[in-house]
Amino acid sequence: MRVVIAEDAAVLRELLFQMLDDRGYEVCAAVGDPDALRAAVTRHRPDAAVVDIRMPPTHTDEGLRAAIDIRRELPDTGVLLFSQYVETKYVTRLLADGSAGVGYLLKERVANIAEFTSALDRVADGGTALDPEVVTRLAAAGRKAAEMDTLTARERDVLSRMAEGRSNAAIADALHVSAGTVEKHVAAVFGKLGLPASDDDNRRVLAVLKFLRD
Amino acid sequence: MITARVSGVPAVLRMPLRRRSWREAIHCLLGAPLGIGGAVLLLVLLALGLGFALSLLGAVLGLLLLALATALARGLGAVHRALAGRLLGIWIAPAPACPAQPGLGVLGRLDARIRDGPAWRQVGYVVAKLPLAVCGMYAVLFWVVGVFNLAAPVRWAVPWLRGDDSGLMLLTPLPFGGSPVVHSFAGTLFGVPLGAGVLLVAPWLTRAVARADVRLMQALLGPGALAERVRDLEETRALAVDDSAALLRRLERDLHDGAQVRLVTLALSLDMIRGKLSEERPPDPQAVLRLVDGARENATAALAELRDLSRGLHPPVLDDGLADALASLTERSSVPVELTVDVGERPSPAIETIAYFCVAELLTNVIKHSGAARATVSAERRADGTLRLRVTDDGRGGARSRPEGGLDGLRQRVRTVDGTLDVTSPEGGPTVVSVDLPPHA
Repeated sequence: MRVVIAEDAAVLRELLFQMLDDRGYEVCAAVGDPDALRAAVTRHRPDAAVVDIRMPPTHTDEGLRAAIDIRRELPDTGVLLFSQYVETKYVTRLLADGSAGVGYLLKERVANIAEFTSALDRVADGGTALDPEVVTRLAAAGRKAAEMDTLTARERDVLSRMAEGRSNAAIADALHVSAGTVEKHVAAVFGKLGLPASDDDNRRVLAVLKFLRD
Repeated sequence: MITARVSGVPAVLRMPLRRRSWREAIHCLLGAPLGIGGAVLLLVLLALGLGFALSLLGAVLGLLLLALATALARGLGAVHRALAGRLLGIWIAPAPACPAQPGLGVLGRLDARIRDGPAWRQVGYVVAKLPLAVCGMYAVLFWVVGVFNLAAPVRWAVPWLRGDDSGLMLLTPLPFGGSPVVHSFAGTLFGVPLGAGVLLVAPWLTRAVARADVRLMQALLGPGALAERVRDLEETRALAVDDSAALLRRLERDLHDGAQVRLVTLALSLDMIRGKLSEERPPDPQAVLRLVDGARENATAALAELRDLSRGLHPPVLDDGLADALASLTERSSVPVELTVDVGERPSPAIETIAYFCVAELLTNVIKHSGAARATVSAERRADGTLRLRVTDDGRGGARSRPEGGLDGLRQRVRTVDGTLDVTSPEGGPTVVSVDLPPHA
């Protein structure tokens, strides 16, 4: 899998490069600012880009803006943003065009390499990877639609893990229940949120968006 | 216009030719009718107003006239300020405006006008300007008399200026003694030294009047000491707030770009090491060692950055007093520093902190910019309780306080506690920066 890294701190950028390289990713470019990121993505057409949100020149949301551009121009490129803070405003902007192929993780998650690379894989495959912290904040910050209140605590738990971008099997693992139980919860969520039975994955995305946006 | 640069002529003789003298004379000339007319009008208004106000029947009319008088005084004050600014180059800040009190009705507004303290000070100015304006007229008369006498031979030579045969009149600027009359061309030559003499005195008189006027304006037309102080405090408070906001922003940025990155990198290295060690096949010791070295390096760097940051916030040695803190500061300097500290009773902690960071920044300047071989730092308590810091170096000098520059930032920080900063730094050095701080913030 081909990856571009954009991170302005050289020490972290180099170690990320090394780590991804070790794990068999092909790192096409490792850059330190948003313009170089745009150029690298246009040139190499990677499967995914790992992007720091705060980059020069203003160190505010350069990475986010570059990510939104990339998603718009090259929708096949997954973008995994990472940053030291969770800003719900950023996520809302990121998710405005849909949740496919985007991810947002706290920077410290890179220390759990397995989790980090699985998030990167999901994003490259057009899935979603949201930091649990991001999901909690978003869910707490947003104004809830009436139907959200009808969910049980367990169902909401399952839904927030779906929002993180996890599969049913992964959710079952994390909650220490059987896959069947998770499927039952998921079906209940779809029912309560009024999502008609159709393509399962599409309903997942819709449910998550409803959960995060309301 | 005749320029002021007539070289080789003594300054006293050049006085009547200097542009500044002319401007002062014009100020006296224009100020006289304005001063006399304005004062008379104002006095009439005041007298009428007071008269009506004291008589029970016309009290409201009287108060209206008084309010009108204060408004007039404000207007006249503005004209006088503009005149002084244009002609004398002395711009006096306007007095604070009459506080608007909406919703009080006509009587409320009238009340506010009559209680308008700054306006009454302007009334005081307009009244005090009256005798000054008369003096100004008299001073201008000296110019006229001087030119009139100086031109006596010319007046004799031009028949229609000479008039009839009763002789040519010369003038003296004195209000008594009459006017000498001459009857020959040789006699008119007597007017030349007389005119020149008067003309040499004239600029000094107009200058004296202009100076007195400026004093009067500064005392009565300006915002007043209290209002100045309020403005000063507002300004320095804004500086202090901006300064602390900037400090917090810098702190966040330093943490974000420094220690936080180091720690994330350290955590990542640890997980990479863990990955290497838990592989099925035996790990490559060199690769693991490299990762461990990197991790250690990042941990050490994070510690160093955090230490620098916390010392930048508050050096712990400052708790033991300024003497110890300055000693530790100067010991670390790469330019040899001779330190003398005699501060007596300890200033308040805020002052100690400001003093410390002033010296730190000034020493950094010395090291970075001056090229000095040695420097001295002294901190002493003066008789009036002021803490005086002085940093000198034998470097190349030429240090300037420019906007947005380091010295200017320092000056602003010092101002927030009513301190002052002075820089003496001729080209070629030496540079002396002294900072005076009050003992308590």
